[in-house]
Amino acid sequence: MLLFAAGNLGAQEDTCTTCHLSLGIEKLTKPAENYKADIHVAKGFGCVACHGGDATKMGMEAMDKAKGYIGKPRPAQIIQVCGRCHADPRFMRQYNPSLRVDQVAEYATSVHGRRLREQNDQKVATCASCHKPHSIRPANDARSSVHPTRVADTCGSCHANAEYMASYKIPTDQMAKYKKSVHRKMMIEKGDLSAPTCNDCHGNHGAAPPGVSWVGNVCGQCHPVNSELFSKSRHGQVFVQMGIPGCASCHSNHEILPTSDAMLGVGANAVCTGCHTDQDKGGTTAAAMRQSIEQLRTEYEKAHAVLAKAEDAGMEVSQPLFDLNGAKTALVKARASIHGFKLDGVNAEVKPGLEISQKAYARGIKTLDELQFRRKGLAVSALIIVALIVGLVLKIRRLEGKK
Amino acid sequence: MMGQDEASSVQNATRRNFLNWFLGTTAGAFIVSVLYPLSRYLIPPKVEESTSRTVTLSIKPQEVKANSGQIFRFGSQPAILVSTPAGELKAFSAVCTHLACIVQYRADLGQIWCACHNGHFDLNGKNVEGPPPKPLEEYAVNFRGDQLVVSKKG
Repeated sequence: MLLFAAGNLGAQEDTCTTCHLSLGIEKLTKPAENYKADIHVAKGFGCVACHGGDATKMGMEAMDKAKGYIGKPRPAQIIQVCGRCHADPRFMRQYNPSLRVDQVAEYATSVHGRRLREQNDQKVATCASCHKPHSIRPANDARSSVHPTRVADTCGSCHANAEYMASYKIPTDQMAKYKKSVHRKMMIEKGDLSAPTCNDCHGNHGAAPPGVSWVGNVCGQCHPVNSELFSKSRHGQVFVQMGIPGCASCHSNHEILPTSDAMLGVGANAVCTGCHTDQDKGGTTAAAMRQSIEQLRTEYEKAHAVLAKAEDAGMEVSQPLFDLNGAKTALVKARASIHGFKLDGVNAEVKPGLEISQKAYARGIKTLDELQFRRKGLAVSALIIVALIVGLVLKIRRLEGKK
Repeated sequence: MMGQDEASSVQNATRRNFLNWFLGTTAGAFIVSVLYPLSRYLIPPKVEESTSRTVTLSIKPQEVKANSGQIFRFGSQPAILVSTPAGELKAFSAVCTHLACIVQYRADLGQIWCACHNGHFDLNGKNVEGPPPKPLEEYAVNFRGDQLVVSKKG
């Protein structure tokens, strides 16, 4: 705690910064320059809070080992240095009472932490690998290396570096695949910061690959309906027995692309064909579920097209369009229900959607018929008007001839 | 010659009569053809008010129970009128921001809920759980006498 007290300089001059900025060597000036915008400076912490030493002394005297100076901390030291404050609830409460203080404990359970502790692996990520030293900003700051939009690049700085990762013999294409995923698209293109990035599935401080049996739980954090249906299904049990990850087997893990109806059934792009043929029971059920959903989709689109045509023609169709929202809901629910892998479950959602679609379609056709009636009426009126004009012309000529 | 003139006069009279009859009938048909479509367009259709920005609800404020919600039509889109547990009336788009399902009010949760993928929204419309990526659009609820008028904001 003495070190924290010494590090917490408040408005007091920090000789480390003064000296480093005057050295003219980029390697030494850059940390001091960057540190001006670091969250720790804003809270009153100087260099000695992490590096030790005495910031009231000038020159080499400031870097006195007797005063705890450690220079650039080694990986294992980084955990201790950060943990001194961040794992102390009473200390952290002064600055941010809601901030978690279990990062060090979580890190110890991570693959990174275990390799560091058990194998003294100096290449693994520590606090400073993700929270860029001297430029640490809160995670909700868009410039932070741990802001949701930057997490993939931060993790990718090691995990996408084939040379750096060569000794670990694990794939290095995760970041490239993730960047093609629907999750990344939602985050970057749609600005949805709640869309998952690396840490949402792997954990952040306790980062580890999700186990086969709990992939579904991870995905289920955001997709609970699909996850629950799957875990209660026959597939859920069989996949666990076979050691196959649930969601990822059909949707992939990092390269999770937008889903489509083509994924269901036994067609060319169907994922079911990985295990089933068009002859076995699973294959025929999948094909039947696909057919049921296709039927609803077709009926919905047909009704929507007719109503849109009527609306474009200026007809009042807001009520059937409103009703048709129910069919859209049924279609979405039917698509979710396939994760139960039961035809009855899918049909239970499809049936009301079909009824709504067919009624809306009939209303649309009736409205288009009325439109035709109006148009024909307009044509008849126009003919009558033309006839009237011709008659008037003839009458006027006759009257003029009489004169 | 006189006979021919008389015949010509009779023929002209017949043609004149026909022309007068034809004009009269055509004028009558013209008036009907103008008035009928006009009346069809002027008399409002037997459907509820439908606008893109404001809707007057058939629900009376005093009929809305606290901690309840009901779907109403806002143009061609569904919207939801929510009475909070404290009795405050709020209205939101009822189209889930995830995949456009119709949301509903869950009195047991005191939240707006989407059954399709278990998305939750608080009573400010904010997405608080599940896959919905953004909040529900909130509408302004105003009173006009004992009528509820819901309008788009901004």
